[in-house]
Amino acid sequence: MGVFFSHIFSRLFEKKEMRLLMVGLDAAGKTTVLYKLKLGEVVTTIPTLGFNVETVEYKNISFTVWDVGGQDVIRRLWRHYYQNTKGLIFVVDSSDQDRIETAAEELKKMLAEDEMRDVVLLVLANKQDLPKAMAVHELTERLGLHALRGRQWFVQPTCAVQGSGLYEGLDWLSDQLSKR
Amino acid sequence: MSCILFWSLLLICLSTVPEDLSFEERDELSNIRRRKKELLDDIERLKFEISEVMTEIEHLTCVRETKSTQRNKQIAVGRKKFNMDPKKGIQFLLENDLLQHTPGDIAQFLYKGEGLNKTVIGDYLGERDDFNIKVLQAFVELHEFADLNLVQALRQFLWSFRLPGEAQKIDRMMEAFAARYCQCNPGVFQSTDTCYVLSFSVIMLNTSLHNPNVRDKPTVERFISMNRGINEGGDLPEELLRDKEPRGIIPLENLSIREVEEPRKPNCFELYNPSHKGQVIKACKTEADGKVVEGNHVVYRISAPTPEEKEEWIKSIKASISRDPFYDMLATRKRRVAAKK
Repeated sequence: MGVFFSHIFSRLFEKKEMRLLMVGLDAAGKTTVLYKLKLGEVVTTIPTLGFNVETVEYKNISFTVWDVGGQDVIRRLWRHYYQNTKGLIFVVDSSDQDRIETAAEELKKMLAEDEMRDVVLLVLANKQDLPKAMAVHELTERLGLHALRGRQWFVQPTCAVQGSGLYEGLDWLSDQLSKR
Repeated sequence: MSCILFWSLLLICLSTVPEDLSFEERDELSNIRRRKKELLDDIERLKFEISEVMTEIEHLTCVRETKSTQRNKQIAVGRKKFNMDPKKGIQFLLENDLLQHTPGDIAQFLYKGEGLNKTVIGDYLGERDDFNIKVLQAFVELHEFADLNLVQALRQFLWSFRLPGEAQKIDRMMEAFAARYCQCNPGVFQSTDTCYVLSFSVIMLNTSLHNPNVRDKPTVERFISMNRGINEGGDLPEELLRDKEPRGIIPLENLSIREVEEPRKPNCFELYNPSHKGQVIKACKTEADGKVVEGNHVVYRISAPTPEEKEEWIKSIKASISRDPFYDMLATRKRRVAAKK
């Protein structure tokens, strides 16, 4: 009983931190996702010159999201940031039929990194409001997610511009984190 | 009335010929008079012509002036449009023949940057379009990086626009930057790729150190280990990677500088706030563990090794000091708020 109680107690009051990386092709909507999540918070600091990084407090978890990316030679630099990373957010433009293969390739390369072995994958199927947007099942197939072995993954349809679907995605991530 | 009468009489007298002249003399006189009249007529005509020409000239300058003011006005409109939406702004300038549709011309316009928002310049240069990438390359080529070390060159480059936060945009910009840096400084890096990866890495370091959202600040050792193998599979010399960060930063805004006598140290001068004495000067420094802390001093006193160097420092710092009325407004408001409490 005591153990159970302390478990609940810590679940209630302990603030967890979750480091996330966000990748995706150009114009998939990463920046919009990042800033929509921050909406409503007062910006008090001078923006730092460099990569977009945001901390989002949600359900007692503090999510730190880095916008990472760049060409293949750059990936080695990010490795140092992959360590201690719990989740990968992959943002994909659901309406971009032409580049979906490139996106799948990018995702595959990222997941192949050694440090990403135990990372959970949240795919944000963005731009769902556009007429030619692919549905979740089509994206799942074209990104080759069914072939992933031993990895927790989830596809969340979103429309980042309107902010819809984003918190549902974070809900999934926080559930995954609390399971561990 | 009598006055007019007098003048008419006088005129009659003058036009008449005196009685005592010989025939030749009379002839001569009438010749002279005719000649005089001709000359006067000529003068009159010339005067008229001159005034005609003058009005014409005036008219022409006027047209030219309105043309150039109109052009300036349109450029100003173009700048405003650019700041709202860079593509539309450029489009407007192209349509009005104020800019040529070449990467070089557009790059020049952005490089001069007059009246342009640096964030917007960064957005435009970061676009994935082939044309924008060409503009980016032309823009980088306008920078002179010869004899600068990598960080100095990066600082200069990043002064001309605001770097966007998207990884892919930073990637393209660092690639273009590295190509130019290596072109200006052959032999510093084994390949442009090495320079590009290191430049990218420096931006990552800046983000880690200064973005408050990054809690886990890297140490110098981690930065060095992060850059293992980026030099064509080998390591870069460690001196190159250390001391990338300045120890402290004092923005030279709304400050003044003066010489001071200091009993313990020679050749001293100090930075102080001339309008708000006793107010903390905006500054920050990086501590040994990589943590950035705000400065809490009201003056910064510096000692130069020689009197000549002191003069040089004072001269250079004076030239770099800028004034922004915003800080004064802010300081006044802060004081008012403090007084209310």
